[in-house]
Amino acid sequence: MTADAPKTLEPPRDLTLRVGAFEGPFDLLLHLCRTNEIDLARLPVRTITDQYLVHLEAIEFRDLEAAGAYLVMAATLIHLKSKLLVPPDPSETEALDEEGEALRLELEERLRAYARVKALGTWLGAREAEQALLWSRPAGALPPPGEVPLEDLSAHLLERAMRRLIEEQLRKTPREIEPNPPSVLERMTEILTLLRDTWSLLFSSLVGGERRRSEVVVTLLSVLELVRLGRIRTQQTELFGEIVIERHSGETHAGSN
Amino acid sequence: MPARTDILEALLFASDTPLELARLREVLELPSVAAARELVEELSARYTDRGLQIVEVGGGYCMVTRPELAPWLVRLTRSRTKQRLTRPALETLAIVAYKQPVSRPELDALRGVSSEAVLENLLERRLIRIPGRKDAPGRPYLFETTREFLVAFGLRDLGDLPKVEGELQVPELAAVAEHGEAEAQQDPGAGGARVPAES
Repeated sequence: MTADAPKTLEPPRDLTLRVGAFEGPFDLLLHLCRTNEIDLARLPVRTITDQYLVHLEAIEFRDLEAAGAYLVMAATLIHLKSKLLVPPDPSETEALDEEGEALRLELEERLRAYARVKALGTWLGAREAEQALLWSRPAGALPPPGEVPLEDLSAHLLERAMRRLIEEQLRKTPREIEPNPPSVLERMTEILTLLRDTWSLLFSSLVGGERRRSEVVVTLLSVLELVRLGRIRTQQTELFGEIVIERHSGETHAGSN
Repeated sequence: MPARTDILEALLFASDTPLELARLREVLELPSVAAARELVEELSARYTDRGLQIVEVGGGYCMVTRPELAPWLVRLTRSRTKQRLTRPALETLAIVAYKQPVSRPELDALRGVSSEAVLENLLERRLIRIPGRKDAPGRPYLFETTREFLVAFGLRDLGDLPKVEGELQVPELAAVAEHGEAEAQQDPGAGGARVPAES
């Protein structure tokens, strides 16, 4: 009874200890009835009230709510008892008796209900004790659906992902902003100049080692323009293969397109 | 194709919650719930002289150790001594089980003391839950038992609770069973009273 632990630490007065073990006013009242071997149907309000109050005096209440619960019961009992003690007024006897009787019955019923709850609590406690002897798979043996299995994310996988990232970064050259993108006209002149000394050129050699995107675009446009003008001929034998650029001899065709 | 009882055995071994017949039927692709039950019985019969047994709790089946082996398991798990519920907690749980869904004022009236701390403890242990609020002054929270409650106390469903007289009556229980069934349709985890209804 963890809830009762503080109370058992109080001075070892038998009464206090016993009261401390009760779970509220019903529990105490039920205990009184049982120890007096009282039939709940004939609840002797006078004796029970006195005994209840004696117990109440012995309790050192620490929390107001618990004290309140006990006091409400005490008030109910005193109220009941007062009804029984006051000499009956012939004119009002019936009404008073009825009220007192109704109150007594209600108390009785509530006590009875509580006795049942107590019995069920005991039953559940016994079941719990039985179940405590059985072991099963601890909860969470299977990952709940939708949950990320974190145990699979090993350091090894992280390392691999990191290495891949670094390699990708190494393959890329740092992005640069070109102050003066080469013009198509300049590149066309450049190509024709180069072709004056040689019969053929490789597209990749024109683009240069840096393979800057703008460089590739300008070179390709220049080559296409020169082809259109009939100044050069190009040849690409396979998809994404090397483009071979050759001088076009038939300069007379120029401008016929 | 491995034997169905082998698959069932694996399922029961691996699952941390009781497996309902309906679920077993689905996973094993059996024609009916009755077939699933037969399979469970077939496997269960093989476990008569083993360290494990197959039990029916919380509307499903699970594999647990035999009670007589508890001393060795306690020795093994040393620190894992199962924390037991206090008497007030058990009594409160009893009221919730019989009168669910029940509000705190009703609980307090029956017990004659405030149940606040006890209810919090039970909620924390997932033995009870709050299905909503009561349509009454103050709109107090309602409490009902969970499937974990059934499992913790080795109950197949709420019908396994002893019958009592007075306010905590069997008719109440019938209402609870209906409620539980309605609940089960939207929340498979709460199918306490459902499986027996299908049998």
